[in-house]
Amino acid sequence: MGIFGRLRASPYTIPTLKALSWVPVVLFVLENGVSPSKVEGRSMQPTLNPDSNQMKRDIVLLNKWSATSHSFQRGQVVVLTSPTNPKRQITKRIIALQGDTVKLRQGTEKVYVPKGHCWVEGDEGFHSNDSNLFGPVPISLISSIVTHVIWPPSRFGPVEVNGIESKRVTLGFIPPDSDDDYCW
Amino acid sequence: MSQRFNSRFLRFGKYAVHAASITVRFMCFAHMYNRHVAEISLCMGPSMLPTFNMTGDIILADHISGYFSEPEIGDVVVCISPHAPGRAVLKRVVGTPRDSVCFDVTEKERKYVNVPDGHLWLSGDNMSNSNDSRTYGPVPMGLLRGRVVARLWPEFQILRNPLKQVSLTEYFK
Repeated sequence: MGIFGRLRASPYTIPTLKALSWVPVVLFVLENGVSPSKVEGRSMQPTLNPDSNQMKRDIVLLNKWSATSHSFQRGQVVVLTSPTNPKRQITKRIIALQGDTVKLRQGTEKVYVPKGHCWVEGDEGFHSNDSNLFGPVPISLISSIVTHVIWPPSRFGPVEVNGIESKRVTLGFIPPDSDDDYCW
Repeated sequence: MSQRFNSRFLRFGKYAVHAASITVRFMCFAHMYNRHVAEISLCMGPSMLPTFNMTGDIILADHISGYFSEPEIGDVVVCISPHAPGRAVLKRVVGTPRDSVCFDVTEKERKYVNVPDGHLWLSGDNMSNSNDSRTYGPVPMGLLRGRVVARLWPEFQILRNPLKQVSLTEYFK
C-alpha cells in the first residue's frame, strides 16, 4: 500500500485532520484577541520586570482586540513594533497623542506629535530606547495593549493607566480633516 | 408527538452548530491566509498612475515573501499609511535602509535625505498627486503589509521589478 492508502485506512487520520482544522482558529484568537506574553528588558521598571537582577521575567496579558480601533489613551502601556528594528516588539507607555507637544526628557527641546502618531516612553528613563531616541511613532505600529500582569502571582493584577508627567506634555487636538476618508 | 418534535429540533440544533463550527474554521483559515500568505484586494486612487487605475484594480498581494526577504527598490508594496491608522496604501519602494534618497525629484533643487535603519522611502508613481514619503517621511518597515505580485483585473499582468541596477561607470559613459 502506498502512503495515501495507508493514511486513508488509518483510524487516526480523520481525527487528526479535524484537530488541525482548529489550529487557524487558535492562531486567530492569539493574534487578534488576547494572548499572554513574556516581557524582556528593564525599560518599564518598576511597572514590569522590577527585578533588577533580571532573573525573573513578568508574564502579561495582551489585549489585541481593543488595539484594532486605533484609539488609545495617554498613560496606557502598549506593545508596538520597534521603528528601528521591525522584527522586535517593544513595550512602552503612551505619553502623548497626535497634536500634543512633548518636551524631551533630557534638555529643553520640544517636539510636536503629528497626525496619526504618538509618543511612547519607558517608565525607566535610563534604560529605555523610546521616542526620546526615535521620535514620534505611527499609531498603526501599536499591536496590543498590556492590560494585566499574570505572573508572578504576587503582582497579579491590572496594569495601571497613569504615570504621565503632565509637566512635560502640552495637550493639543487635531480636528478631523476633510479628506480623512481618502488616502492615497 | 412532542418527542418527535424535540428530536427534530435537537437534530436541527446539532446540524446548525456543526455548520457554524465549519464556518468559523473556514473564516479563520481564510483570514490567516489573507494576512500571512497572499491576498486579493481592490485598490483605488490616483497616486499610482499609470501603473494602477484610478477607478480600481484588483491586485494580488503576497505577504509570505516578507518573512524571507526584505523589500527591494522598485517593489510595489502595500503599507499602512502613517497619517491614517488602519488605512492601507500602495506605493513603490524607492529607498531601503541606509540609502541616500533624493527628497523630491519634481523640484528643481535636489535635496538628499538618509533613510534610517528599519525604514523605507516610499513614492507613488504619480508624483503630482501622491501622499508619500515626501509628506510623511521615511516609513517604518513594521507598517509594511505585503508586496504586490500581479494585477488581476482589468488586465492580467505580473508586476516585475522594473528597475535595473546600473554600475556607476556604465551610467556616466
